[in-house]
Amino acid sequence: MSDEIIQIETPFQFTEENRLEFDKLMGRYPVKEAAMLPTLHLAQKQEGYISPAVMRYVAELLEVSLMKVKDVVTFYPMFFEEPVGQYVIRVCHTLPCALRDCKVVLEHLKTKLNTDVAAETDLAKGTTSDGRFTLMKVECLASCDVAPVIMINDDLHRNLTPEKVDEILDNLE
Amino acid sequence: MVQERRILYEHLDVPDINTFDVFRQYDGYKRFEKAINEYQPDDISKMVMDSGLKGRGGAGFSTGLKWSFVPKDIKPCYLCCNADESEPGTFSNRYVLERNPHLLIEGILICCYAMGIETTYVYIRGEFTLGKKMLDAAIAEASAKGYLGKNILGTGLDVDIYTHPGAGAYICGEETGLIESLEGKRGQPRNKPPFPAVEGVFKKPTVVQNVETLCNLPFIVGNGVEWYTQMGPTYGDARFDPPKPDPNTGTKLYCISGDVNKPGVYELDLGLTCTELIEVAGGLRGEEVKAVIPGGSSAPILTHYELDTRLDFTSLTLAKSMLGSGGIIVMNETRNIVDCLLNIMKFYAHESCGQCTPCRWGTPWVRDIVQRIADGKGRQSTITRPKFGIAENGRWGDTGETEEIYEDLDLLESVANNIANVDTMTWNTICVFGIAVSWPAVSYMRKFRPEFEACIREGKLVTLSVAEATMKPEENYAYQQRIIPREME
Ligand SMILES: Cc1cc2nc3c(=O)[nH]c(=O)nc-3n(C[C@H](O)[C@H](O)[C@H](O)COP(=O)(O)O)c2cc1C
Ligand code: SF4
Ligand code: FES
Repeated sequence: MSDEIIQIETPFQFTEENRLEFDKLMGRYPVKEAAMLPTLHLAQKQEGYISPAVMRYVAELLEVSLMKVKDVVTFYPMFFEEPVGQYVIRVCHTLPCALRDCKVVLEHLKTKLNTDVAAETDLAKGTTSDGRFTLMKVECLASCDVAPVIMINDDLHRNLTPEKVDEILDNLE
Repeated sequence: MVQERRILYEHLDVPDINTFDVFRQYDGYKRFEKAINEYQPDDISKMVMDSGLKGRGGAGFSTGLKWSFVPKDIKPCYLCCNADESEPGTFSNRYVLERNPHLLIEGILICCYAMGIETTYVYIRGEFTLGKKMLDAAIAEASAKGYLGKNILGTGLDVDIYTHPGAGAYICGEETGLIESLEGKRGQPRNKPPFPAVEGVFKKPTVVQNVETLCNLPFIVGNGVEWYTQMGPTYGDARFDPPKPDPNTGTKLYCISGDVNKPGVYELDLGLTCTELIEVAGGLRGEEVKAVIPGGSSAPILTHYELDTRLDFTSLTLAKSMLGSGGIIVMNETRNIVDCLLNIMKFYAHESCGQCTPCRWGTPWVRDIVQRIADGKGRQSTITRPKFGIAENGRWGDTGETEEIYEDLDLLESVANNIANVDTMTWNTICVFGIAVSWPAVSYMRKFRPEFEACIREGKLVTLSVAEATMKPEENYAYQQRIIPREME
């Protein structure tokens, strides 16, 4: 069984609040499996990333095989399979942002945080040694009118310049 | 000077328009009430058909026609609202979700009434956390006021709306990819047919509609078909013989970005030219327009010779491009087209879902070729061959001259055309992502061939002037057609 191959580090369980949230999701779809993406989002919010234990837990909740969960997690870039920093910084680098010098913003972030850019399969590469930040490049964030843009966790920051980036990072506690 | 005509975006800047009470002051939900009080569901479908409304998400397919394919006897039927806005250069749906979510709910209600749908899923891209929050709040408010849920306004109508977050995959914007993703799987598009209208999510008939398309519905119902069809041009569509009337009705939320002074979303009648649009967006930032992408990054590029092209569905199709999602990216004379293509190809290589071999392997291959050219390592052959072009007799043929062979450009075109052939419009892939890859690749290369050649010849990234970099339209046309059309002689 594939279940045994995956090592379980820390056990995972939804908090009471998230469990209620999950129960609400269940009423929305005719099949349980359809709640996969929202459930994984919920779990990632709680745990910070999708650990093997999270996958097992979600598979049990949704009554699907572990493989199916893993299949989904590996497909979508927004699910992290390894721990990330407290702040995830997503820098858009698609054409409209590139036309507005997103490279300058990215280079500035790289020197300021003293880190490389994360690769999809190697998030640690873009994570600062104190574990505060993870720097990654993403595709168009649908805000090209206010390019260049970055997202820090859930917040979008617009019309960036290196000075603005400094100001934003200083304001994070 | 062209004026904006704000309809969908009219109240976008009104403070607190995201709350039920303020939305209500601006005719909110009155059009839905009009629909249920004055019309039968079939009347609404007919109105939508007569309005000529075309889908705003990318394909530009007639909405009324799509609805007519949905079998009436299979229940339940679902509505999926496509709010996965990820096409580079497109950002109009985001503003609707964040600022005026009740308008979308009203549009969904009208669609559900017309089609007898009880459950709607709004597939919102994962990064739109604010948009999802605002829409969720609006849904809760509308439910509390009795406009959603069971027995709406005592009419016996039941409609539930649920938001469903995506997780950062562009391909989930493709309608069958969206459906797979909604079912909790990888967002890998399905083979068609069956089309979603017949067998979609949970194996039931499904209507997939873009946010902007749905937001048009309240205005069609509220102001009538006649009012709606006055906006935008009607053409005799030259692709048909005899020409079929092809309406491009209503307004479009044009998203303009890149080298213009005031990038943003501008709501304008369909059928304005590129030049007019750039003017509306505060004019060009720079001296000269080098190129314009008219419909999101998937659309073939337009050169400075083509700035008179009208930006509507029919005109752009005839110009061998597309309106797509209405994301217009403007580039000025300082831009290097090879570099721009490289950026776009990196995007596609990253976003291919990996199901079909031509797309999975071809897209990174195209990216690598463009990367090589941009790095100055593009391959050129030492031998020459007879140059084909517009020959003395005015037709496509041997010109009697010789030309150098740019291996990598031939390879680029060949690889791209084997993912999807842009001349015959046939593709070897499951979804039209394949076309979205080869269209830009081939069109950039053909239309700006001198710049590509220069990069290979000089072994570095060289940016030519606009006039030097662009192929003349007649050469291009002749190359594509391999004949000289009469009107160009
Ligand atoms: C690769 C690809 C990506 C797409 N992305 C989107 C998208 O982000 N948003 C959207 O509304 N439609 C997108 N579409 C178009 C949808 O497949 C579909 O045509 C549309 O949602 C139908 O709605 P409409 O008729 O209202 O436009 C995409 C299509 C393809 C092939
Ligand atoms: S064409 Fe590309 S994106 Fe579309 S289904 Fe095939 S592999 Fe996936
Ligand atoms: S390209 Fe950066 S937001 Fe669109």
